[in-house]
Amino acid sequence: MTVMTQGRAERLIDANLLEALTVPARQGDYPRESRAFVRIDTSLRIYWHTLFDICPGLLELSSPDGLSIFRPFMAWAADEGLSLNWTYYLWVDVWLRRSPFAGRVTPELRLSLIGASAARWATGDRSEAGGIVLSGLDAADLVCGWKARSIDAGRQIERIELEDPLPAAPEPFGFFTVPGGELDGGFPGWTPIPR
Amino acid sequence: MKIGFNFTLGETLPLVRSLLASGRIDYVELLIDNFLAIPEEELAAGFDVPVGFHIMFSKFIENDAVALDSLASRLRRLIDRMSPLYVSDHVARFTHDGRQLYHLAEIDYAADYGRVRERVDWWQQRLGRRLFLENYPSILDGGHDAPAFFERLCRDTGCGVLFDASNAVCAHLNCGVPLEAWDGIIDAASHFHTAGYNLSILQPHLVLDTHDRALSDATMAFLESRRERFDTPGATMTYERDDNFDELDIASDLDRLRALFADDAVAPPVERAAP
Ligand SMILES: [Fe+2]
Repeated sequence: MTVMTQGRAERLIDANLLEALTVPARQGDYPRESRAFVRIDTSLRIYWHTLFDICPGLLELSSPDGLSIFRPFMAWAADEGLSLNWTYYLWVDVWLRRSPFAGRVTPELRLSLIGASAARWATGDRSEAGGIVLSGLDAADLVCGWKARSIDAGRQIERIELEDPLPAAPEPFGFFTVPGGELDGGFPGWTPIPR
Repeated sequence: MKIGFNFTLGETLPLVRSLLASGRIDYVELLIDNFLAIPEEELAAGFDVPVGFHIMFSKFIENDAVALDSLASRLRRLIDRMSPLYVSDHVARFTHDGRQLYHLAEIDYAADYGRVRERVDWWQQRLGRRLFLENYPSILDGGHDAPAFFERLCRDTGCGVLFDASNAVCAHLNCGVPLEAWDGIIDAASHFHTAGYNLSILQPHLVLDTHDRALSDATMAFLESRRERFDTPGATMTYERDDNFDELDIASDLDRLRALFADDAVAPPVERAAP
């Protein structure tokens, strides 16, 4: 917010807005016509697009602008201190299942969210792992994300149905990573997803 | 001036190959940390022109040492094998309180200097190479501190700046950082970026580094006004595009850059056989 003090505008730097860049409600702390307001809006829009461009099925549940999902989810995520890392979509799924939208969440929509998180891991993770396995809709239904293994290919997302289900994953989701590009190293046990 | 194009992986490969075949680009800038699961041999054999390494998500100022050590050892193998024209990284905030920022934030150049300096020293040592750090497309007033910050950081750590000319134009338009403030940095730099930018959806408009359209007149004028400062022996200029991959549009920008930096201003692009 630009405040006039002793005849000159007070300096506002990007770091002053860090608390607000992920929290829709904090945008209202700044006047609508200020650059800070637009800066925060620009930041929030990227979270919006990251969610609804990848899982457009969410827009069928919410108002067409998605805000009846986006705003309460982001507020909850802020309260919970969620990292909004590759697990972003998984926590949206968790929130949806506890929300007024719960009765309308289809398995297809849930799978699109789980697949989106697997894809985000596969493009963003910088560890030595080559793939991730996520618990899907149940213990026999896994979603895998594989990092790109060729310069002309992208990451791959794969849904695997097991004949012999793995032990039940921790709630709300479990994951494990695999070194290479295949699910051949056995089951190392589930890790609960990070917050 | 060597002219290059950024390659982030996957679907734009045919475009990159076509720009190489038409002689519009001399090298490819790889967003190198996207390529770490690809077999080294395949990556090294991927292009028969030089490459630049642009590190995007090391988060070397924030990340923990174990994760960075692992990343550094893998990057180092590729650096040794492929001898990139440069290795670059970013000075920006990727997280706040453990929460990921999807639109990277600008650091507080005054308050964060000591930490950044220490991290740059350490990260250069881990990578075994001089690092070139990219300037941020400033939105708010902190941008005024950026030129002096980078000059001091280069003096103290021996790093260089990967100077993004259109980011400086964004900072100029957003918060009035004079373009002349960068002249010392441009004189000392050899590696450059440039790209199109766009306005924010809401007003008052901010100028955002979107990499989704043609170079602006202001960017072209900035490059022209300092042609000799930019174009020194060994200099590279990467044209960045991350959206709207319209080949004609991209080719026309690359031709403008090539014409601007040509020794003889009318030299047409050289045809090169497709690999
Ligand atoms: Fe850049």
